[in-house]
Amino acid sequence: MNTRDIVLIALFAAIIVVLGLLPPITLGFIPVPITAQSLGVMLAGCILGAKRGASAVLLVLLLVAIGLPVLSGGRGGLAVFAGPTAGYLVGWVFGAFVCGLVAERLVREEQPELTQFLSFLAAAVIGGIGVVYLFGMPWLAYMSGKAFFETAAASLVFLPGDLVKAFVAMLAGRAVLSGYPLLPQRA
Amino acid sequence: MLNGLDIEGNSPLHRMPVRGKLLLLFAAAIALFLLSDLRLLVPALGLSVVLYLSTGIGVGEAVRRTRFALFTVLLVAAANYVFQSPHEGVVVFCRLSTLVLLAAAVTATTSISAFMDEITRLITPLERFGFVRAADVSLAVGLVIRFVPEIFARYGEIAAAHKARGLPVRPLTTLVPLIILTLKDADTIAMAIDARGFRRH
Repeated sequence: MNTRDIVLIALFAAIIVVLGLLPPITLGFIPVPITAQSLGVMLAGCILGAKRGASAVLLVLLLVAIGLPVLSGGRGGLAVFAGPTAGYLVGWVFGAFVCGLVAERLVREEQPELTQFLSFLAAAVIGGIGVVYLFGMPWLAYMSGKAFFETAAASLVFLPGDLVKAFVAMLAGRAVLSGYPLLPQRA
Repeated sequence: MLNGLDIEGNSPLHRMPVRGKLLLLFAAAIALFLLSDLRLLVPALGLSVVLYLSTGIGVGEAVRRTRFALFTVLLVAAANYVFQSPHEGVVVFCRLSTLVLLAAAVTATTSISAFMDEITRLITPLERFGFVRAADVSLAVGLVIRFVPEIFARYGEIAAAHKARGLPVRPLTTLVPLIILTLKDADTIAMAIDARGFRRH
């Protein structure tokens, strides 16, 4: 990794932190407010690619662990990793990696617009939702003891919000690719 | 804007070395998951409350910091209470909230620089395998702390520019310029870092 990669990782981590400072948005048809922070995870993969994207998310989690209140709602510290939802945070790192991996494989600059959109959407849904849930739900289930099925099922209320985010990540990922492409330049 | 969550003080937890605290926290987590006897879990919860408050954190601040984690714990415990048994609900509640409070106590008594020193020490042996360099990690942490206020201000500017043009401030139309403007700085910052010779090999 050269200095530029390290700076890109740090700047993207800072963007993810800033996304957590913005007030959550409430959409009429979804029961839970949406925070932009997990959108940052999808974007990290879609924009920086697998390795740098996952590093940016990992850097955010490092800041959380050393006691900076950088998660949405001013959460931070080791207590976040002790709670039942810590699996989603761990899943962020792998989610950003898979999201980047899919985007790197599918997206090419010379492709038509629609193909790029669909590729980014696939990356955001597989990495940013599928992989994140894959880590988050079993962890939550394990922490919940015997009522694991019910709590894991309840976490699905976040799915509509995450689908909205995947859609935003698709649009933003493609817009950044045309404005300032970083994805093809693999780290 | 980015202040750490550590509280100044001189309690026993403050004086303990960081590695010791982390190892104890890890051991406590394993022990808590092996235990399911309420005669041990209830006193453990009481002990963790005492320990957390002994750090000199006020009750209000203590509640504010842990309320989200405790809320999720409460939901999980309630699910156990309803779908399993009241006993199971109380066990899960005691176990998880003890862990949350202990972790919060470690965070409240450890400064960011102490954590960074410990992380540097943990990473240094890994340098031999070429995964990551400890100096790069500290550099990246420093860069984030330095640039968060700037990026936040830039978001404010982009939102103001939207309003000046009579456009609604939508996540998508603010996000893309924010990301492109921020990442475009990377080359200049990287050059500045290299010019100063921070990353000597």
